[in-house]
Amino acid sequence: MKKLGLYLGCTIPTEQYGYEMSIREIMPEFDIELVDLENASCCGAPLKSVNLIMQMYLSARNIAICESKGLDMYAPCPQCHLSLTETKNRLRDSEKLREKIVKELMEYEGLEYKGDLNIYHTVDLFYDKIGLDVIKKKVKKPLEWNIACHYGCQTVRYSDAGRPDIAEHPSKMEEIIKVLGGETRDYSEKLNCCGAPLMITHKESALTKTGEKLKAIQDRNFDATAIVCPFGGRMLDSKQEKAGSTIGEKLDMPVFYLTQLIGLAMGKEKNKLGINLNLSSAKVLS
Amino acid sequence: MTDSVTDLFNMTKPEKEKYEDLVKELGVLGIEPPNICYQCSKCTSGCEAMKLLELEPHSIMASAKAGFIDEIMQSDLIWECIGCYKCKERCPQKMSPVELMYIIKNWSVSSGKQLPGDYPKILQGILSTGYIQNPLDVRDKKNNTWNRNSLGLPGLKRPIDQKKFTEAISKLATEGLGEI
Repeated sequence: MKKLGLYLGCTIPTEQYGYEMSIREIMPEFDIELVDLENASCCGAPLKSVNLIMQMYLSARNIAICESKGLDMYAPCPQCHLSLTETKNRLRDSEKLREKIVKELMEYEGLEYKGDLNIYHTVDLFYDKIGLDVIKKKVKKPLEWNIACHYGCQTVRYSDAGRPDIAEHPSKMEEIIKVLGGETRDYSEKLNCCGAPLMITHKESALTKTGEKLKAIQDRNFDATAIVCPFGGRMLDSKQEKAGSTIGEKLDMPVFYLTQLIGLAMGKEKNKLGINLNLSSAKVLS
Repeated sequence: MTDSVTDLFNMTKPEKEKYEDLVKELGVLGIEPPNICYQCSKCTSGCEAMKLLELEPHSIMASAKAGFIDEIMQSDLIWECIGCYKCKERCPQKMSPVELMYIIKNWSVSSGKQLPGDYPKILQGILSTGYIQNPLDVRDKKNNTWNRNSLGLPGLKRPIDQKKFTEAISKLATEGLGEI
């Protein structure tokens, strides 16, 4: 059994419980033991606009915490995954930056930073590490829906940081959906943002983006949407009704975390995957 | 920086020193300076904020290239950036409008400008609890209320020495990439 440090960040463990529950429910079946990281905190990503040194300190401290256990990391939030990966790269490439952050970490919190660990996200963990063959063997109840994949901005950008899938034409989620028995196809709005980051400063615009994305998916007659980002969950699922009224459209698009879909295909109980918490999932499950 | 141009709308002169600071801070992050921007506008054509709001990353790059840093800093437009990274991904010159704006927003904050929107709440949350927010109660479709405990999820892990953690973050809040 492979052990991974589970780094959830802020949004998953404070509101997007369905993502966390489905992760905890299915990972042991793929021979992965998740270790909760004592002393963890925010990764700093929400503070990039405020202070980039603060952001890098926060990412580096969580990397150091995971490394101290001798573990690689699983960061299911793409924003965290980018912030952590980017910080790891920058501290590798800039001696001065590394010196600064390493010194502060040791001085204030006694943390030793090396930056040697691997950091996985849901998409690359399932596609590249676990592999389609292994996933296929676990499928007991093949999915019967036509599913749109929503990657989320930072799952695929920017390439130089090293992302779970390629920037302009990602397809790993689709490959996984097919193995689960589902149908899927490309749609032209696939790379459009869900609007989440605008909630901080421009709420109406954020909800408009959410509504437009969902409307586009709905108009293309998909039965459901798969996501791998807690901000996608917050906007496309939790705020779907609000997004609909913001753009003056009736939206009825079931949204699931990819990990919930894997769990469903494995025949897991819905409530153990937190599917009762998805506010949008009525149609396909009833 | 392009040679001295005056912005005739408000008679602003380019700020050479600030431009050089900008180039230096971009350099710390391994990013190319704005003077190599040839205004192809690929950044703006993909910009997720521009589709709804007023932000045009190529205009920001043009202002930066001309040295009108203060104008960018005073503008609310930079706070419209979503951080989707399409501009960085697609820039043929390997520049990064998104990160140039992060740096200038950092300056704006350290100059004492009020943080917009929910940023004060987010910052306060991280400083005092390690996270942007505390675990929330959520409702399911039948209107039942759930929390981590009732869902059988373990307690949220937080910084063990919150005081030291807050001290570190508060100290770094006063520092900039330029001092590195």
